Amino acid sequence: MSVSRPVVVMQLPEEFNAETSQAFCKEIEPLLEAHRPRIVLDCSLVRSIDGAGVEMLLHCLEEAMKRDGDLKLCCLSAQSEVVLELLRVDRVFEIFASAEEGVRSFNALPVDVIPQDAPWYSAVFGELGVLKQAS
Amino acid sequence: MLGAIVLVTGGSEDPRQAFTAAESGASSIGTTDRPHELPMACIEVLGSSILARMTSEFRRIGVDEVSLLIDEMFSSRRDEIEQSVPELAPVWTSDVSRAVAQTLAAYKESGIETCILTLASVYAEFDLSDTLQFHRAHQQPVTRVLDGKGLLDFWVVKVDGISEVADIFASLQGLQASSYIVSGYVRRLEHLRDLRCLVVDSLTSRCRMRPQGFEVRPGVWLAEGAQVHRRARIVAPAFLGSATKIEEQCLITRCSNVESNSQVDFGTVVEDSSVLSNSYIGMGLDLTHSVVDGSRLLNLRRDVTLEIKDPGLIGPNKSSGMDANSRSLLSFGMDSISARRERRSFNSETESTYSLL
Repeated sequence: MSVSRPVVVMQLPEEFNAETSQAFCKEIEPLLEAHRPRIVLDCSLVRSIDGAGVEMLLHCLEEAMKRDGDLKLCCLSAQSEVVLELLRVDRVFEIFASAEEGVRSFNALPVDVIPQDAPWYSAVFGELGVLKQAS
Repeated sequence: MLGAIVLVTGGSEDPRQAFTAAESGASSIGTTDRPHELPMACIEVLGSSILARMTSEFRRIGVDEVSLLIDEMFSSRRDEIEQSVPELAPVWTSDVSRAVAQTLAAYKESGIETCILTLASVYAEFDLSDTLQFHRAHQQPVTRVLDGKGLLDFWVVKVDGISEVADIFASLQGLQASSYIVSGYVRRLEHLRDLRCLVVDSLTSRCRMRPQGFEVRPGVWLAEGAQVHRRARIVAPAFLGSATKIEEQCLITRCSNVESNSQVDFGTVVEDSSVLSNSYIGMGLDLTHSVVDGSRLLNLRRDVTLEIKDPGLIGPNKSSGMDANSRSLLSFGMDSISARRERRSFNSETESTYSLL
């Protein structure tokens, strides 16, 4: 039996800069301190993001990963994407078009859908697994 | 005698709009319809503005008098516009049409018979001498220049025919005109994207426009005073304008141009991008498919314009002038060969940080 922890979706503020990111940090801190935090940051309201804002996102990602969790972004505007590209962090984050997609991505391969009695290589290698079994 | 009038006007209130639209059926092109912006033709591209290139071409073919008329809507950028064409004293006017008529009247008095009238909204490569010959041969009061896409905002007019009329554009419309078709390179300057295309075409030799500087390596152009850190890489084709500064671990490549007095800071990659004059690009950035003008960034791939408020990322360049550790092209001599020779000796010096490549 597997128990999946909830995925938390948080909204980023309109202006995500040095000032607002501090307040945001206080809000998200308790979530990041949990075991294996699973967070999706909804950026649909974000109108401007600066270097300090991106720093804060990286800090949050780092904290989440330290605890074996992840932090993903969704609903980025073209402007925000350009800023992330400019700062070379667009490849660091997983970015999704909607919050639903972001949440779903955490459960992309749920443990309970894989039959527990099947040998590991049949799931991974498919046909090869069948051949090995036959031999 | 021959004269030329170059107009820099806005888009939306441009009096010639009716004329252009009526003749070509196409939407007209303004130099810009945003008064706070610098007109496209005044923006430095590969070391020199289109306006400066245009006027020097007029001088080259023997135009006796060149007048530059600028719409007062651009008065907030007066210094930059005047710096873009230092050899001309522009006339600022709120009524462009009347100013043209007055200039033509003055030309008539000084004995000028033929006048080139152009809006600085297009970069076109064609034989002006041939156009003038065509105009004389056809004996029409107006010769309009066009290409396959329509009018090029370029006319040759007989000064006698239209100098008395106040509304010059209406009178041009009313007069009989012959059409001179251009088959050479034409780039209409409607958007910063067009300037970027012009840079790419120039650096890849698709047009005749040459960067203002020295080709220190095949495809790598440097203007006087450009400083490149010895651990920076410039991969052709690329252009660095005068007094630019490229810091350590930077990479400038894929037809990128960094215009005068700009700085690219440590570790930044500039790829397929234009950095307009007096801009600062901060440390560790990836600038791709973009045009930067001070704190404004236009991403051409996403068609998004950003106003960057963080001066540590992108902004106007506040530091200009030579670094104590730097050496410039100026100190190397004025031709690329001597620059290359000097470079060899320069690279052997261990105490200096900046070199030509």
